[in-house]
Amino acid sequence: MPDQMEHALQELKDEAARDLAAIAGADDLEPFRIKYFGRKSPFAQLMRQLGDAPAEDRPRLGQLANELKKELQLHFDEKKALLAHGAGEASDIDLTLPGRMQPQGKLHPVTQIMEEICGIFEGLGFTVAEGPDIETDFYNFEALNIPAHHPARDMHDTFYVDDSILLRTHTSPMQARVMETQKPPLRVIAPGKVYRCDSDITHTPMFHQVEGFLVDTNVSFADLKGVLSVFIAKMFDETTPIRFRPSFFPFTEPSAEVDIGCVMCNSKGCRVCKQTGWLEILGAGMIDPEVFKMVDYDPEIYSGFAFGLGVERIAMLKYGINDIRLYYENDLRFLRQF
Amino acid sequence: MKFTVDWLKQYTDFTYTPQELADRLTMAGLEVDAVCEIFAELKDVKVAEILAAHPHPEADRLQVCDVQVGKDAFRIVCGAPNARPGIFVPVALPGVVLPGDFKIKKSKIRGQASDGMLCSAKELGLSKDAEGIMELAGVSTSGQSILEALGLNETLIEVDLTPNRPDCASVIGTAREVAAMSGNPLHLPVTKDTLPILKGSKTFKVSVDDQSLCPRYVARRMTGVTVAPSPWWLQKRLISVGQRPINNVVDATNFVMLEFGQPLHAFDFKKLAKAEIIVRPARKGEKITTLDGQERELDPAMLMICDAEKPVAVAGVMGGGNSEVDDTTTEILLESACFNAVSVRKTARSLNLSTDASYRFERGVDPHLAPVAMERLVQILTDIAGATVEMGGIDLAAGVPSPVEYTLRVSQTNRLLGTDFNAEKISSYLSAIEMTVRQIDADTLGVTPPSFRIDIEREADLIEEVTRLHGYNEIGTTLPVVPMSFAERDAGRSLKKEVADILMANSCYEAINYSFVSPEHADHLGLAGDDERREVVTILNPLTEDQSVMRRSLLPALLENVRRNINHQNGDVRLFEMGKVFIPKGAGKQPHEERRLAVVLSGRRYGQAPALYFEQNATDFADIKGVAFSLLKELRLNQIAFAPDDHHAPYVDSSQALLLTANGETIGQIGRFSKQCLSNFAIKQDVYFIDIDFDALTALKPAPKRFEPLPKYPSVQRDIAILVPVSVAAGEMVATIWDLKDKLVENVELFDVYRGKNIDEGFKSVAISVTYRSQEKTLQEKAVAKVHQRIVDMVMSRFGGRLREV
Repeated sequence: MPDQMEHALQELKDEAARDLAAIAGADDLEPFRIKYFGRKSPFAQLMRQLGDAPAEDRPRLGQLANELKKELQLHFDEKKALLAHGAGEASDIDLTLPGRMQPQGKLHPVTQIMEEICGIFEGLGFTVAEGPDIETDFYNFEALNIPAHHPARDMHDTFYVDDSILLRTHTSPMQARVMETQKPPLRVIAPGKVYRCDSDITHTPMFHQVEGFLVDTNVSFADLKGVLSVFIAKMFDETTPIRFRPSFFPFTEPSAEVDIGCVMCNSKGCRVCKQTGWLEILGAGMIDPEVFKMVDYDPEIYSGFAFGLGVERIAMLKYGINDIRLYYENDLRFLRQF
Repeated sequence: MKFTVDWLKQYTDFTYTPQELADRLTMAGLEVDAVCEIFAELKDVKVAEILAAHPHPEADRLQVCDVQVGKDAFRIVCGAPNARPGIFVPVALPGVVLPGDFKIKKSKIRGQASDGMLCSAKELGLSKDAEGIMELAGVSTSGQSILEALGLNETLIEVDLTPNRPDCASVIGTAREVAAMSGNPLHLPVTKDTLPILKGSKTFKVSVDDQSLCPRYVARRMTGVTVAPSPWWLQKRLISVGQRPINNVVDATNFVMLEFGQPLHAFDFKKLAKAEIIVRPARKGEKITTLDGQERELDPAMLMICDAEKPVAVAGVMGGGNSEVDDTTTEILLESACFNAVSVRKTARSLNLSTDASYRFERGVDPHLAPVAMERLVQILTDIAGATVEMGGIDLAAGVPSPVEYTLRVSQTNRLLGTDFNAEKISSYLSAIEMTVRQIDADTLGVTPPSFRIDIEREADLIEEVTRLHGYNEIGTTLPVVPMSFAERDAGRSLKKEVADILMANSCYEAINYSFVSPEHADHLGLAGDDERREVVTILNPLTEDQSVMRRSLLPALLENVRRNINHQNGDVRLFEMGKVFIPKGAGKQPHEERRLAVVLSGRRYGQAPALYFEQNATDFADIKGVAFSLLKELRLNQIAFAPDDHHAPYVDSSQALLLTANGETIGQIGRFSKQCLSNFAIKQDVYFIDIDFDALTALKPAPKRFEPLPKYPSVQRDIAILVPVSVAAGEMVATIWDLKDKLVENVELFDVYRGKNIDEGFKSVAISVTYRSQEKTLQEKAVAKVHQRIVDMVMSRFGGRLREV
């Protein structure tokens, strides 16, 4: 008998849950209320049957029935409230209205790319070091094996402040500055602004470079290729073709230019890559023994490589920006795009 | 460096297409900048034969020509006096576009129909000054393209030469590289082995003062010269690389320079006083008028070529007008010399005169080349100018260095490249480019580079050659094995990132401006004449005046950004910039570089948010103060406070200026720009700013993060609404409550400041909400009431207020 009653309660609970779920509108509320909470409700019947149950089971069964009824009442009230709420406003909510967004700013695209570059090298254990924008002729040229009256100075259109002070033309002076004060092993990247007196569609008089160098015993050209290959795979795509070709920088030897397959035309040849299918992306090389001598490193013991890349150029390639002058106008229509 | 494929083929055979050739040169370190068809714009210009030339019935100077172009006949009106039957000339038929965007149409000239135009060399861009229609000598069929007829259907290759390869600043030097690639022989028009020995001259003298400045000077005299236009083959070579033919003598010197890389010069022999050449420094006060017609003042640092009386050429740079070859010249003295690179560079610099000759000397010219190029020049002039060379000549070669042998270690090569080459392999690579290699011991090679490779002067240079010849891409790829170490993060860099994050959350965009600005900014900012912020680092050679001084503040450029955005219909601007400003420290010293952070706000507060939900009110002072507070608070700085800025900058509105302090240090200013300043920057709306010393900010220590247990007991909130005189600072009322330091007071917040309706004139209603909480028990109404009353009484008595009836 008690088992029967418990069973009946369980069935009642299941049935009530089904009925509750079936309530679709306000009109369904009243029949449910009458069925479960009215005078002829199953609860009323159960209560009447309770008298027949053994005395020791009665409190327990009574409590069970009451709890079930309470629970049901709670669910019913919730449903009622939900319907009342929904019924009143459902037609007023226009779901096509835009979301309410708190406006957010963004980083300049040059900073974004610079951080991405630095992040890749930091992942390889490189330390970030920054140096002065206004450099001495010594660090910008002499210490990098570019003596006065060397034709290589023609590769740098230099802004001068006076005879020996200038706006750095590259971030390479950080090679000398860091090596002068620290001993190998060194893994350093130096991001920053650089300046050249040159201005047209592809040149601004100020732009950003990231210089990097690694010095230890037995660092080889193959290592240089390895590190830069990792960088390009991460910065662009694992499948981006890379080639190294001979070039000249007074502070590295052998010197290399590194090209990647043109990202604009997938190496098919276009205006951007001058039909060659390749884009020059960075300059690199093994640090010249003369540079080591300047900082009292013995080139018989140490070797190392250095590389430098232009941030704006990489941003142009990655984002498809076609006019370099846009970078420094800080037009919000530009800044919002990245 | 420019050359045509056809010209290159004169010295070595190859089967590469122009693009293949370009790729191979690039991969050999001679980066090709451009591959193009020369005179592509003339491809539709045809050869016409003039069959008849009738006088124009209406005009004396015009002729009406019947011309044949292949199978077609045309009638063309022509103004050139040399138009006559039997000659072959270029014709541009209707539809052809000539250089200068000149489109040819059918027309009527003085009543006579004309089916196109017979062209002069000038009209075709082949010459600067040729008169009359161009007569195509040696052409006997019409209808073909003019490029074909002139042999100008050629491909030009332009190489962006690096300073280490002066040997390739010549067609032969480039051909040598190509020969090394293909394995085919190099054919030289003149070789060292067939040179005459020059032991002196009876008709002229040469002396060199300082052989370190002029290691070699070769001179020969030619007589019986007929100065005339060059033959077409020679003109064509010059034209094809963009040079202008002048006359046979000058053209021959230019041609041999382009061919061999040896600059040459021809003097009119009769114009040389006492038939003498003296290579010496200029004397003080001497002047020369160079071939470009400019008179130039000389100084003793410049090396000159002089006759017995005066300078006749600037050594290695440009000849002088006083010894120029002209139409009447019959005797010439030819110079083929080698000058010191640094000396030529300095002279060219100080004269601000860069020429094909100085370009080559600055980079270095092989001193062994001088007699070779001389021989070639003599051959050509004998051939094309009817000249006779005088037996003998002068060759002062005492300054020519003897060949040097460098050692190259196999082990060092492999260590630096990560390769395992053996001595034979290295040796075979170097021998292929004319280096003499001998084995000294198992690990060491002795390498003597050819004289033209003046860039090779160390082991490292030889290793680079080995790398290049092996192929950069053939070398393996490894990752370096370096001891592990912690990559220390620069404090400023981490802070920069944090600051950017906070400001971006405050809907500010990052700006980057040029470090150089206009000197006018100081005036725009209204700085006094003696203001120390007027002291700036000035650039000696700025590109433009408005980029001529290094910035002292980030604000002016940001104001220009605001203006620019307003002008582009975007008046709602929130920008920040982190960057350096430059404070001069005297001549010859690097300036102090101070890092700063600036923010500007202008326009509508929520201009970038959906207007549907956000009230579009104008930005005001509370916005900039809020951004500043949020920045310092999120950076976890202590004692954040805003103090009156009594000595604010002249560009700030006096009524809206505050100093920003944190951790007890003043680190910057906030405020509204004065109307005058904004008007100087042509901005018509309010702009608010933050200007912070980023270095000072970096030095401040953020508060450590410490956990505080969450409250166990509920809080009670009580509001106070008080009427106080308008002059009372509401912020001080809040501060006074805090200052009580009652331990039940958890928070004090200003929630309304109101003036107007229902409030007496001269008063404002200030509403403050105080939150009470005990850490020990649930607060009873009585306890709260007691504290709250005390606070209300204190505030009223302190600020002369009275409770507002709600």
